[in-house]
Amino acid sequence: MSLKYIDEYRDSDLAKMLVKKIQSVNCKDLRLMEVCGTHTMSIFKHGIRTILPKEITLLSGPGCPVCVTAQKDVDAFVEFARQNNVILTTFGDLIKVPGSGSSLAKEKAEGADVRIVYSVFDAVDIAKQNPDKEVVFCAVGFETTIPTLAATILSAREDGVKNFTIYSANKLTPPALAALMETKGVQIDGFILPGHVSVITGTNAYRGTFEKYNIPSVITGFEPIDILKAILILVQQNATGLPALVNAYPRAVSENGNLKAKTIMNQVFKLCDASWRGIGQIPTSGMELKKEFAAFDAAKKFNMDMPEVSEPAGCACGEILMGLKTPKACKLYKKKCTPMTPVGPCMVSSEGSCAAFYRYS
Amino acid sequence: MTNDKILLDHGSGGKISHSMFSELILPVFNNPELAKQDDGAILMLGEEKLAFSTDSYVVDPIFFPGGNIGDLAINGTINDIAMCGATPRFISVGLIIEEGLPLADFKTILETMAKAARKAGVKIVTGDTKVVPRGKADKIFINTSGIGVIAPGVNVSGSNARPGDKIIVSGTIADHGIAVLGTREGLKFDSDIKTDSAPLNKMVQSIIDSSCGIHVLRDPTRGGLGTTLNEIAIQSNVGINILESSLPIRGAVRGTCELLGFDPLYIANEGKLIAFVPEKDAQDVLEIIRQDEFGKDAVILGEVTNKDPGRVFLKTLIGGSRIVDMLTGEQLPRIC
Repeated sequence: MSLKYIDEYRDSDLAKMLVKKIQSVNCKDLRLMEVCGTHTMSIFKHGIRTILPKEITLLSGPGCPVCVTAQKDVDAFVEFARQNNVILTTFGDLIKVPGSGSSLAKEKAEGADVRIVYSVFDAVDIAKQNPDKEVVFCAVGFETTIPTLAATILSAREDGVKNFTIYSANKLTPPALAALMETKGVQIDGFILPGHVSVITGTNAYRGTFEKYNIPSVITGFEPIDILKAILILVQQNATGLPALVNAYPRAVSENGNLKAKTIMNQVFKLCDASWRGIGQIPTSGMELKKEFAAFDAAKKFNMDMPEVSEPAGCACGEILMGLKTPKACKLYKKKCTPMTPVGPCMVSSEGSCAAFYRYS
Repeated sequence: MTNDKILLDHGSGGKISHSMFSELILPVFNNPELAKQDDGAILMLGEEKLAFSTDSYVVDPIFFPGGNIGDLAINGTINDIAMCGATPRFISVGLIIEEGLPLADFKTILETMAKAARKAGVKIVTGDTKVVPRGKADKIFINTSGIGVIAPGVNVSGSNARPGDKIIVSGTIADHGIAVLGTREGLKFDSDIKTDSAPLNKMVQSIIDSSCGIHVLRDPTRGGLGTTLNEIAIQSNVGINILESSLPIRGAVRGTCELLGFDPLYIANEGKLIAFVPEKDAQDVLEIIRQDEFGKDAVILGEVTNKDPGRVFLKTLIGGSRIVDMLTGEQLPRIC
């Protein structure tokens, strides 16, 4: 499993050259937002902030799936875990996110059957191996994971699996960008657009948002050279006053994206309104199961309808996700809220900006 | 700690394990030997200076590429004693067995333990067995304790790092954790990632027998290299700088970490040590380690500074800098 082409995108000479070019562009203070949590992590992991000119501020946006999950959805996961006869399956990050009263990690310690999976297909396997149990999967993710989820449901239907359901808290990226631009006080001079999501959606998915708000936007990959290149393009666009939507990740992203993945996604799911932590309800920013797949809908099967709840007092995750605050400006940061005792999800997820600040700076 | 129950995180070897030790365990058992927090206790019995250490093994699965829970349990305690600068001599073995464990597996594990002890030149001299009903343990858990002798004049401790020291790592990192994870999760590696479980006592003996100075020895097991460096930075009240470009990682291990989002700095090793040595002796110690059968890939990883005491910094490949914190949260449960 030796991955090729890692070192090429971490080349120190190339990095130095890009930083020099960024420095040479004459620009005012710039606030650039990396929308995706994987970008946030990569920026910290490679120390990118420490080599950029001080005029450039990088903000972490609403692109960490765990971070944008509404409190009521976390509460729903906890409720599922508490049901008799349920095996709750989830990706690892979610397990420590505090709900209103508990977390999946705490429920697990109390005896709930909570299992971490690496793929939703593993959850279906668990269902097949445990026909007497109900297996619920916490579906938290963006365009990147929704097609796989859809494919899993199609295959579970074909195999006649009756004891597997999902609770969908899936979200879409472009509507969140638009909502962000409409929010009072938000000040962003350019978007570093997600790489993985764009592999599925294609560049065109951002066309509408770009044309409406005319904001410099660059799709890029996750290696340091990719990110530095995107920053250079954004800085140049700001300097010339000529915003553009650029695909700087052509080795993975096309104009129209992965058509097959999109077809499967739209076969199983349909658009719905969704609650985002800190931002609130965003119209048509979520995906729910279509009627013909209702048998796979955990909320319907268990009649689970959690009330909207307010987020923990003092937690600034919402403002941080919108670039209105940095983690260090949150009064709970490093005091009440640490990775050992997280209050908000941005401190839990490996892609959360608070966790990244805590770990790496 | 705000939790009222033990969570898996408490066993991670990272930050929460440390706070469990310092807030819950140390205050109850408090004594100067325990408070030193080295890999083993250093004790005076008459004229004799001894190192005494214990460790329990709950790895899942019990068989994995390159080894099993048996040699892991023997090598682990041998290494903990060796990291005190001691020559390991005697080992005890406690076996907690789940009803239903196949006898053939049990025999294989015992034979592996005997072989590991022979290879390292230690004797298993006492032990205990308990069997619990099915479901009350998972196949087999093993505790090993050991005693070693520290030669006069040897003074190795996590609190001895000094500014200017060079930091040597004896080989590639993260092999063990990824080998176990791969087996457990059924990941089909297209390569031969194996545990690095190995006895390091002969390597340590060679360093001690040389005329080189040696300040700290530690094996970066659970919690990984990142956590261990933090422990030493705190114990010695020094800063540590390491270079990403010097980190020895096998391509396949690195690829797996990239793919699964793990940081190899926090993945367990079971046959590696880090040595803090005065700069003037660094090259000599590096050569001694490279001569050992388990030290061929040894490199100098970084150095100790008097800036930012208690913190570890990594210079990244692209020339940036970042903090390496202790592991927070459980990256991989039941890895050893």
